[in-house]
Amino acid sequence: QGSAFGNKKPLFVRQPFIQSALVKGSFKTIVILPRYVDLGDWLALNMFEFFSNLKQFHLVIDEFCTARTCPSMSAGPGLDYLWLDANRKPIRLPAETYTSYVLTWINNKLNDETLFPTRANMTFPANFPSTLRNIYRQMLRIFAHYYHNHFETLVHLSMEAHWNSFFAHFVSFGREFSLIDKRDIEPLQELISAFEAQGKLS
Amino acid sequence: SFSGGNGQDLVAFDRHPEAFSDKTLDRATTCKLKIEHYYQMCVAHAVERNQRRIELEQKLQKERGSEERKARQLASLGKKESAFLRLRRTRLSLDDFQTVKVIGKGAFGEVRLVQKKDTGKIYAMKTLLKSEMYNKEQLAHVKAERDVLAGADSPWVVSLYYSFQDSQYLYLIMEFLPGGDLMTMLINYDVFSEDVTRFYMAECVLAIEAIHKQGFIHRDIKPDNVLIDKNGHIKLSDFGLSTGFHKTHDSKYYKKLLQQQQEQRKDEEPESVDAIHLTMNRQQIQTWRKSRRVMAYSAVGTPDYIAPEIFGNQGYGMECDWWSLGAIMYECLVGFPPFCSDTPAETYRKIVNWPYTLQFPSEVYLSAEAEDLIRRLLTSAENRIGRISADEIKAHPFFRGVNWETVRDFSAPFVPKLSSVTDTSYFPLDELEKVSENIPAPPPSNGENEALRENLPFIGYTFSRFDYLTRKNAL
Ligand SMILES: Nc1ncnc2c1ncn2[C@@H]1O[C@H](COP(=O)(O)OP(=O)(O)OP(=O)(O)O)[C@@H](O)[C@H]1O
Repeated sequence: QGSAFGNKKPLFVRQPFIQSALVKGSFKTIVILPRYVDLGDWLALNMFEFFSNLKQFHLVIDEFCTARTCPSMSAGPGLDYLWLDANRKPIRLPAETYTSYVLTWINNKLNDETLFPTRANMTFPANFPSTLRNIYRQMLRIFAHYYHNHFETLVHLSMEAHWNSFFAHFVSFGREFSLIDKRDIEPLQELISAFEAQGKLS
Repeated sequence: SFSGGNGQDLVAFDRHPEAFSDKTLDRATTCKLKIEHYYQMCVAHAVERNQRRIELEQKLQKERGSEERKARQLASLGKKESAFLRLRRTRLSLDDFQTVKVIGKGAFGEVRLVQKKDTGKIYAMKTLLKSEMYNKEQLAHVKAERDVLAGADSPWVVSLYYSFQDSQYLYLIMEFLPGGDLMTMLINYDVFSEDVTRFYMAECVLAIEAIHKQGFIHRDIKPDNVLIDKNGHIKLSDFGLSTGFHKTHDSKYYKKLLQQQQEQRKDEEPESVDAIHLTMNRQQIQTWRKSRRVMAYSAVGTPDYIAPEIFGNQGYGMECDWWSLGAIMYECLVGFPPFCSDTPAETYRKIVNWPYTLQFPSEVYLSAEAEDLIRRLLTSAENRIGRISADEIKAHPFFRGVNWETVRDFSAPFVPKLSSVTDTSYFPLDELEKVSENIPAPPPSNGENEALRENLPFIGYTFSRFDYLTRKNAL
């Protein structure tokens, strides 16, 4: 990750990539809750769309993320995300396994009518906010892993502008609706600060 | 690599996309296109939503009404907006609809009158058996076309509300047109007067023109695809989908059939096939008519209305639809289509030899204008009327006196008499029962695997127009 140039900073926080963007301007305009619109439906649709977009990137990266290249779900030096097994015991999983567990888990949540109702007159459950925060956190981990381990692939495929904008949108949304836990964004803090300085988030 | 000014470390990066497999490159391209589309839609939705809100707020400001009533109206807009957001997350499936009746049959499946369970709204549902589709790779193209079509709101085209699929079938949920189709009408009336023909042809001209203006070529206009709405006016169904890829459009297919025919015939006495057409008597017309519907129901379909250039490999343009119109007009006035024969292969042969096979039976009276228009439509692509624009056709003497701006506003020659929103008296239900195989059983919905679900187009992706859905009363 940029180390070929004797620089320890990861590629995604270096010029020109830290500025690559598909969407110009602040994401605020498409993130804030439209007036008179139901908060639950707004959050649900946005999460749903973040998820389907993330899956598109996953389809591209997946074949390069193997047990050999990524034996753990890492997000930079010294940071490995652990999966909680059935007994809530944290276990280390290859990143490909971890992401595929996460995606399946999110998919099941999003398709659960009791959590994300689609029929007319059905309301969102009381635990909806915490469900959203959990989904958001897991998605953020995939962002972190891809940024730290697969950004080069994205650049080879000229996808960094799309990826950056998608992530900036995701962060902007997470801030607006308090879905982010401070600790979670650490591995991407420098990038997020840069987005902020560029006026993308507010 | 080098370091740029003001402490910024600029990195040079050699991109090597060529080192990646085609599969990966394809996925990358798809991903980028989807993301681009997504953000275009995000912005468009935000802008349109804002406009709707501001419009209502301004309207309410000018009105007297009580504050309470105004608040109610704003809340009601919010409700609709929220329902629209919800709909975009909804995965419809067969379970959401209840079949009332089977009302039509086509090459790939059936058309049924259905009711959406949660709203009670009535629709026509077209079921397409995917495995019968001639060229499955084309499905992706088809979907792209459908998407555009779904956004296009024209009075001349059947509205498509939703589409979804399972492992075997593709489902299209469309508006239900209770008046049946032109094929059924022709079977019932034998022939039309020139006045009645003028009405249907004028409406078809406007409908085809509307499609062409949207950049589409129908390629498969036939009386079965000309549907009649509750006021007796026409709408075209079914374009973009599969139609262009039917076997009906493939010359190789007919050549093979012809060859088989010739081999069979070697032993039999030689006969002149064209002669049959010339001397087609009432009896033969009746026989043809009986087989007409059977042909419409068969997987092969009928090539009767397809322009000759479609069978060639020179390519073709919008004018191919005008040929089809010529063939339909001929059928309206004469009682059978111009190249009709006992077999599709024979019809194909006649179409490609049209300069020799196009004949007008002497016992049928046609005005000079009508015959001239038919001949100007059933001619080579280069000389065909309408090639430059539909205005050429509109200016033809056959249409003298037609007010093109108001055709759809005037009353139609036949207005369906309907007793309810689910009245199906204009559909040949008895005959359908005979040909109808068992209603396709959908695969169990919980047995569906993940990969398949991926395939399902979401409503929100396909039908992203709020205005369209509200105006059409789908929200
Ligand atoms: N929206 C609709 N409302 C009412 N009836 C319809 C509707 N769509 C189709 N039908 C009926 O079903 C019949 C078959 O439909 P259609 O022609 O679209 O299928 P098809 O023959 O399989 O199409 P194609 O072969 O051109 O792909 C029509 O002739 C018509 O009678």
